[in-house]
Order: sequence, then structure tokens, then C-alpha cells
Amino acid sequence: MGRDSAADAAFTEFAAASRARLRSTAYLLCGDWDRASDHVQEGLLRVYVAWPRLLRNGGELAYARKAVVSAFLDSRRRRSSTERPSADHQDRATGEDVAAAVADREALMTALTRLPQRQRACVVLRYFEELDVRETAAALGCSEGTVKSQTSRALASLRAMFDEASRDELVVAGEGNLPW
Amino acid sequence: MVTELQELMRANVAAPPPDRMDLAGLVADGRARVRGRRRRRTAVGAAAAAVAAVVAVSVLTAPGGGRHAEPARTPPAPDAPTVHLADAQPAVEGRDYDVLASHTNDNLDRDNGQYFDGVTNDGLVLYRDGPRSDQLWPRFALMDPATGEKDWLPKLAIGQNQTWPVSLTQDRLVLMSTRDDTGEGGTLVAHVFDRVARAWSTMTWPALADVESYRTVAGPDGRLYIGVPASQGRIPEGGWPTDSSGEADDADAEGDTYHLWSVSLSDAQDVRDEGLTFGSLAFTPSSMVWTDSTNGAAGRVHVRDLSSGEEHSFDPHAGDRCNLLSFGATDDRIVMGEYCGTYDHGVRDDRVQVLTTDGEQVTTIQDSGLDGAIAGTGGVNGLVVITAYPPDAEGTYLYDLGTDRLIRVSDAIARFAMGGPVPAGQFVWTTPVNHRHGATQWLGEVRQ
Repeated sequence: MGRDSAADAAFTEFAAASRARLRSTAYLLCGDWDRASDHVQEGLLRVYVAWPRLLRNGGELAYARKAVVSAFLDSRRRRSSTERPSADHQDRATGEDVAAAVADREALMTALTRLPQRQRACVVLRYFEELDVRETAAALGCSEGTVKSQTSRALASLRAMFDEASRDELVVAGEGNLPW
Repeated sequence: MVTELQELMRANVAAPPPDRMDLAGLVADGRARVRGRRRRRTAVGAAAAAVAAVVAVSVLTAPGGGRHAEPARTPPAPDAPTVHLADAQPAVEGRDYDVLASHTNDNLDRDNGQYFDGVTNDGLVLYRDGPRSDQLWPRFALMDPATGEKDWLPKLAIGQNQTWPVSLTQDRLVLMSTRDDTGEGGTLVAHVFDRVARAWSTMTWPALADVESYRTVAGPDGRLYIGVPASQGRIPEGGWPTDSSGEADDADAEGDTYHLWSVSLSDAQDVRDEGLTFGSLAFTPSSMVWTDSTNGAAGRVHVRDLSSGEEHSFDPHAGDRCNLLSFGATDDRIVMGEYCGTYDHGVRDDRVQVLTTDGEQVTTIQDSGLDGAIAGTGGVNGLVVITAYPPDAEGTYLYDLGTDRLIRVSDAIARFAMGGPVPAGQFVWTTPVNHRHGATQWLGEVRQ
């Protein structure tokens, strides 16, 4: 049975509106804009398959986010080589005034890339997507306790890596209010 | 000086390079995947109910520059007695079958609802409510189809994880799910409800490898038989052939294979490597039946007598381009659902092939846009439920393996796949409601 054009139009509208944000999330997960686009494409294909059954009122984005994260995790399972952060963000360093900021961004991407994949996903979903623990657990298909422990380990590792790279101290806004 | 993590992440994505995603192409690829998913839907066993869960499917779409299909003609005739959907007799409720129960979800596009996930061998419907937007977990009940009365079971704490039932007996209910805590692959989990103790227990098997997908079949000995992926058919270099609309055609694909393991439902340490590589697998009360591969070429069909251990095998003479998508068996019949290619004007060669357990051709039901599989757990007089999608033939059909009759039960199908194991002679089908936004799920039983 085919899909009707109205459903396709609604999906296209959703994909157009969400792809930039999803691509940013995917980039923080994989460290490469081209691969991020691949993950978003795969995630949106999964959304298309599920589209008739998806919850409305914002449920599509949560589903799409989960699909992109799953696409990233799936690709990591198949990938035998170690990912390296791409150089494109390095290339945008154009003056001494921005050198420190660029170095911080570079340090973050390097540190994120060195995290285990699920720790990285926890950090990105919690602090970039601003999901709470329950939402992050739902997106990753794991328990809330796993999210808490993985996030805690990830933040400790990130801080240590920033310290080793002689960057300024890495802090997390509102961390004192976190539920653990 | 400090660096704030969130600000740093935002800065890192503030100036992305241009995104060249082609939304029209994305929709076209999505359509192809939906069609491919439809081809393969019955291959994964019990159909998933309308839950927003993604089922992993092989990539069917051709990458850019895919080759075009050879000039197509019409589907070839199977090497077997053949019937078509137009040969079906209209079924009459009360004469050919009885409706045991039904349930309507008015709008499944808006939210999930309630479903019949199967029927126990003592005749109770496994009724599932959710997960829904205001209830983020499923509730289960055993429902008496005659009265509609529901016996709600204790809560099964699985969140929004999807379950699929593999065995529903008068003693216990066995639902499966996967859990991925490590990112290294899914852990197979059995949720077993003891109907006497009225308690759920959860079981995993540490010695069983974590993988992304499993095939799970309940054996007549009470063990679970599990297929762990062994090999996956390769996609041709350059991608699958595509027609002028860009639709990929994966007919004549290499099949996938699985290693067979079995596990006990009472002892987590009892995990056995059965030493067999197979494609599709089915049990009857007295035999184990399998193919060499699946989701592509089927290879040979093998039959093992469970009491004597004797085996024989045969070539099922499926068509040259046929991909095996569904597989089932009764005591004396084997049923293979196949997709065998697309021809002129988008005419598909879809088949449901029925053979004896000695390999004799009984009937092949051939038409464009159908899929079919044995309903539930087979048995002596099993039923094949056939779903037809073309507008001029749309509906649910039944092929009775005991009488070789083909009847048409409905003339419309819902967009939502639902169902699960049912006793021999029973079947589940759906019809659309509310301009196809919703569905009525029916449980029926054929009259003998």
C-alpha cells in the first residue's frame, strides 16, 4: 500500500525543519560532518518507515533523535577503524584572537572522540540536546542508572583530558543541580 | 578561566558546512524501504504491532548510479499447480469462519492503542495496552474472547521496549525483547509469565552472544531455538537494479544464514550450540524443518524427525529469482512466502508456495502484491494468511492447508500489522477504520 502525498509532505516538512539540528547532534557524536549527514539520512529513513505510527505533538523529533543515535551506534559497531575528528573545524582558525577558542573546540572534539561511544552519546544528549536523564535513557534504550553512571564517567574523563591538554578547566553549567 | 561544556558544544556546531541532503531523494528512498520492508515483514515472525519501533532491514535502495533492470516481461509460471487471488471464493462469516473477538483502535496515527498479541493454547487472547503517550509501558491481560473479560497481569517493567511473543501456553507466556546496555549489541531477554504463580520472571543467557538481531522459535521440547547471524547476503556491486522510478529490486538475492543455538527457559546456564547453520527454521510437533538460507535464495529444505533423528532434504524448486521471506510448517505441509521480482508495469511476482514435507508441490499462490505465512503455530490443519495490497485485489485471504481451499475474508487491509501466535485453525486479520487512520483487529476461526 502506498503512502499518501499529504503524509509525504508532512514528513518532508519535518525533515527539512529538523535535519540541521539532527546533523549537529550527529556531528558531536561522530566528529565528521559528512558522516553526520549519513547518520541523519539513515535516521530520517527510519523515521519515514515509522512515520504513520509516530506520535504527534513533538514525538517525531524524539523519535528522529533516537533513530540518528541508533544509526551512529550501529555504524560504530560495523566500523573497525578508530574515528578521528575531522580537520574542518581546525581550518576555520583564521586569527590569533580566535586561536584559543578554536583550540578549545578542537580539544573538545578530540576528547569526545576518545570517549566510549555510549558515554559520548550521554554527554551529547544531556548537554547539547538538553535531555533529562529519563529522556536520555529512552533515547539510548538503557536504564536511567546507566545514563547517570555513564555521564558521570564521561564528564570526569573530559575534565581530565582538558587538563592534560592544558586547556582551561571544563565546567558544566548547573551541574550542582543534577540529580546525582 | 573556565570553559563551559554546553557553550563549547554549541560553538563547535555553529558553522557547519553546507548540507546537501536531497529531501525528495530521501522520500524516494523511504518509499523504497517501506516497500522492501513489506517484502520482508513476514520474515521476522510475529508481526510487530503498531508501536513506534524500528525494525532493522537490509539496505534495499541502490546507491547513486545503480544499474537499471533488464527489460522486463511478465512473471514466469511457477513449477507447480498455481492459483491466483482471483480464484478465491468469498468467505462468509458463520459459514466459513466465525469471529471470536475484535478490537478497534480509531486512530493509530495519533497514538498507540490496544492489540491482540496472540492467543494461548487454551484460548485466551494476550491483550496488550500500549505503550501510549500517557502510559509509557505496555500492560498485558489475558482476555476471554467470548466475554471480553480481561484478567490484568502484574506489571512487566520493560518501559517502552518492544516485545514479541514466542510461546503462549496454558502454563506460561514467553515474550522476548532485546536490551542494549553496553552498545556492543542486543542482549536477548525472555520475559516469562508463570500463569499458576501469576508472576513474571526475566531471563538472559550469559553464554549467548550479544548481536543486533535474533531469530527465535519455540521448540516442542520447551526450549527456545535461536538464530544468531552467521552470514549476510551481499548487495551487488553498484547496488540493486532499479526501475525507471528508482525502485530497487532485490530479487534473486543471496540469502542470509544463522547459527542455531538453543537455550533453556529454566536454567540460564543451559545454552547449547546446536551445530547447525540455517536460514529459516520451523517446528512441527514431530519434526524440525529448515532451509539453507533466507531473505534471499532458500537453498534446500531439510526435515529432521525429532524422535528418530532421521533427516531428508529436497530442492523446493522455488523460482530462479525468488527470495524466501516467510517459512512455516505443519505436520505434513511446508509453506514458503517468496518475492520473485518485478516485471513490466510494476507487476510483482509474489508467491506462497505450499509443499509436502517430502518436497512434492501442492499449490503455489501467485500474484502481484501479496505476502503470506502460516497463521500462528501451525498444527495439523494449519492456515496460511495472505495479505494482498493491490487496490483491485486488496484484502485478507486464507488458504486452508487441510482442504486446499482459498477464500477471501476481507476486501481492505489496515496499514498496521498486528498479531502473534494463535492455535491451529485460528487467524488474525485487520481492516481499516477512520479513513485508514485506525484499524480493527479481528480474531477468527475457520469452520471445518
